[in-house]
Amino acid sequence: MTMRKMLFAAVSAGAMALASPSLAATELTVQRFFGACDADFGTNTDVGKAVGECGIITSLINKFNADNPDVHVNVATVEWPGYDQLTAQFASGDAPDIVTIHESALSDYQSKGLLMPLDDLLKSVGVTPDAFTDAARNGAAKDGKIYGLPIDSWTMLYHINMDLFKQADLVNADGTPILPKSPEELLAQAEQFKQKTGKPYFVQNLANETALYTRNLYTYLFQQNSDFFADPKHVKLNTPEAKKVVEMYKAIFDKGYTTKDLDYGGAINAFLAGEGGVQLNGTWVVGDNNAQSETKGTALNKDGYAVYPYPQLFGGAHAQYADGHTWAVSQKDRTPEQTAAIGKFLKFFADNDFDWSRTGHLPAYKAIIASEAFKALPHRNTITAVADLGKPLPSAVQRQFAIQDIIGEEMSAAITGQKDIDAALADMESRVNELLANI
Amino acid sequence: MADQLAMPHTATPAASVRTPSADIYAPQWRNVIFVAPFLFFFTTLLLFPLLWGIWLSFHKADTFSSGNFVGLGNYVRLYHDKVFLQSIWNTFYFVLLTVPTLALIGLFLALCLNRRTRTAAVLRTLFFSSSVLSVTIVTLIWRIVFIPNVGLLSTIYGWFGATAPAFISNPSLAMIGIAIATLWWCIGLPMMLFLSALQQIPRDIYEAAALDNANRWQTLRSITLPSIKRTFVLVVIIQIVLQFQLFGQAWLMTRGGPNNLTKPIVLYIYDTAFRRWDLGMGAAASEILFILILVAAMAQYLVARNKGDRA
Repeated sequence: MTMRKMLFAAVSAGAMALASPSLAATELTVQRFFGACDADFGTNTDVGKAVGECGIITSLINKFNADNPDVHVNVATVEWPGYDQLTAQFASGDAPDIVTIHESALSDYQSKGLLMPLDDLLKSVGVTPDAFTDAARNGAAKDGKIYGLPIDSWTMLYHINMDLFKQADLVNADGTPILPKSPEELLAQAEQFKQKTGKPYFVQNLANETALYTRNLYTYLFQQNSDFFADPKHVKLNTPEAKKVVEMYKAIFDKGYTTKDLDYGGAINAFLAGEGGVQLNGTWVVGDNNAQSETKGTALNKDGYAVYPYPQLFGGAHAQYADGHTWAVSQKDRTPEQTAAIGKFLKFFADNDFDWSRTGHLPAYKAIIASEAFKALPHRNTITAVADLGKPLPSAVQRQFAIQDIIGEEMSAAITGQKDIDAALADMESRVNELLANI
Repeated sequence: MADQLAMPHTATPAASVRTPSADIYAPQWRNVIFVAPFLFFFTTLLLFPLLWGIWLSFHKADTFSSGNFVGLGNYVRLYHDKVFLQSIWNTFYFVLLTVPTLALIGLFLALCLNRRTRTAAVLRTLFFSSSVLSVTIVTLIWRIVFIPNVGLLSTIYGWFGATAPAFISNPSLAMIGIAIATLWWCIGLPMMLFLSALQQIPRDIYEAAALDNANRWQTLRSITLPSIKRTFVLVVIIQIVLQFQLFGQAWLMTRGGPNNLTKPIVLYIYDTAFRRWDLGMGAAASEILFILILVAAMAQYLVARNKGDRA
């Protein structure tokens, strides 16, 4: 090679290097919760090998980046649920392109015009809302438009230690757990459990917790046909139905049928260590609990792990509180390439929703729920009923996370005996209404 | 030459009528240049936000828009809000728990470690070292201590077959738990301030006291404590201002619970302004906190000054 040719090659290489930014991949910023697990899954693109919410979502995004060299997704992970940060980002004009938002929180941002309606974009990549489950479509639609790509429906479940249930003689002849059918039966079975095992029936994270209390209340209000949010701007919680629920949980607390001082992590550890019969936790731990039950030497491995929807304790509708996760897109000026890249990302998640449903969440797509692959996943035969049972708050109710905190605080005060039940219900109602009146 | 020599003589009367040289202390507009950088940052980062906060507190505003003028409406809502009143009490309770303890333990440590030995130097470093940690690390450490079943406290109590007190979830212990973590975190600064004050007391006063056969207690009461009185006031004022702004420890250890019993005013403001998007009411609550800190610090200062004058 002559000197001139070498020089020409070097200049060409330099020119290409300089020109590469114009050919660079379209950058997208994605913000999500579900935790950080880069040490385990930071470079994993084999989604089938991933477990748990964090592992699966990290691997899915890695795979998207690997499959789409023309798009590069930068991920920011926030602490659950991340709305304080997101609100500040929107206020400062620095919102991510795509962000995880609960269906229950969509209306807060949508009502301020901060989210992009996705109907046209989804249609352009071949995703149509009629593919969504009813729960997912209702959750993601506001004012007749889709404001988030639903990826799941979730709810709270009874996670059961079958070894302790056997010790407590709470197992049917077919090996299924005996679950209560009324508040009285629940208390009687909890007493029987305590007598026979010496352990509390429930493992609950009650230390400074609000979400668990609130979801429990919503579920048992639905089961009594209480239309407490008939007016999305005015709640009715100082009712006999609400009092029944709080009295039931107070009896559980007072009689020692539950763990008391545990936080969320502590409750998970306590359940996995076999310190109680039923953990009240969400769909998202089904995968992890099942993995534990298949590991020799663990408390859940002795006689197995079962998981069921909340039992029907009242005579009203068969229902329980449910919500869902979505990918929402912030409203801002974008190039056609950026919009197309967002479409690709959403399409990828719609196409790979089965992998996400391995977490324990219910899929947001009818076809996946009906698929043999989904039905073959562990415990789906018992929890798929949630797809029909699941019921969110009316979508027009705003500030649902703030409302959850208020209700949880007051329920906690009543159940732990810091406040009279009537006073707590009255305060709960007036505080929520004061909040809603000043939006 | 004679002419040249005569020059000063002829010049003297002329100089006497010359205008006097400019007064370098006279106010001049160009001097603004020297204070402009400070004024710029003071105005944009302190004065403007303060005034804007006051303006917001009279408006119904959320994070994305500032709405109608509501007069004292936000303040009236605060007056009727049980959680806000509870948060004021919580803040005072926390200040009462921490400020006197920090001042007294800080003084005690300073008195113990005010010597030129290697052990004292190591211990001074140790006691100060917790101050350099971030609030996240401090609360993580104390959560590991307090967490039920597997925490350090539970383990120690378990050796004696006892159940550890639930410092994070028990309504009567939660604030004390936060105060313990705060004392551990903040003790370094008061100790250092007292140490520097102790080292400024002239040695000859102690020598004179020794000649007069004064015992240790008399020396402490009559020499040491009066000499560091101003530092004591400074420590108390600094700690009042700091502890009134409790936020991180309460947010990370208890989230303000149980039943809002550890929710301080700053957490209430955060909750209201950023989680409920009620920026106007959050601004009103922060104005009240501003006044409370100002009054508490001024009252402390005035009381201490009056006592000093009488002495």
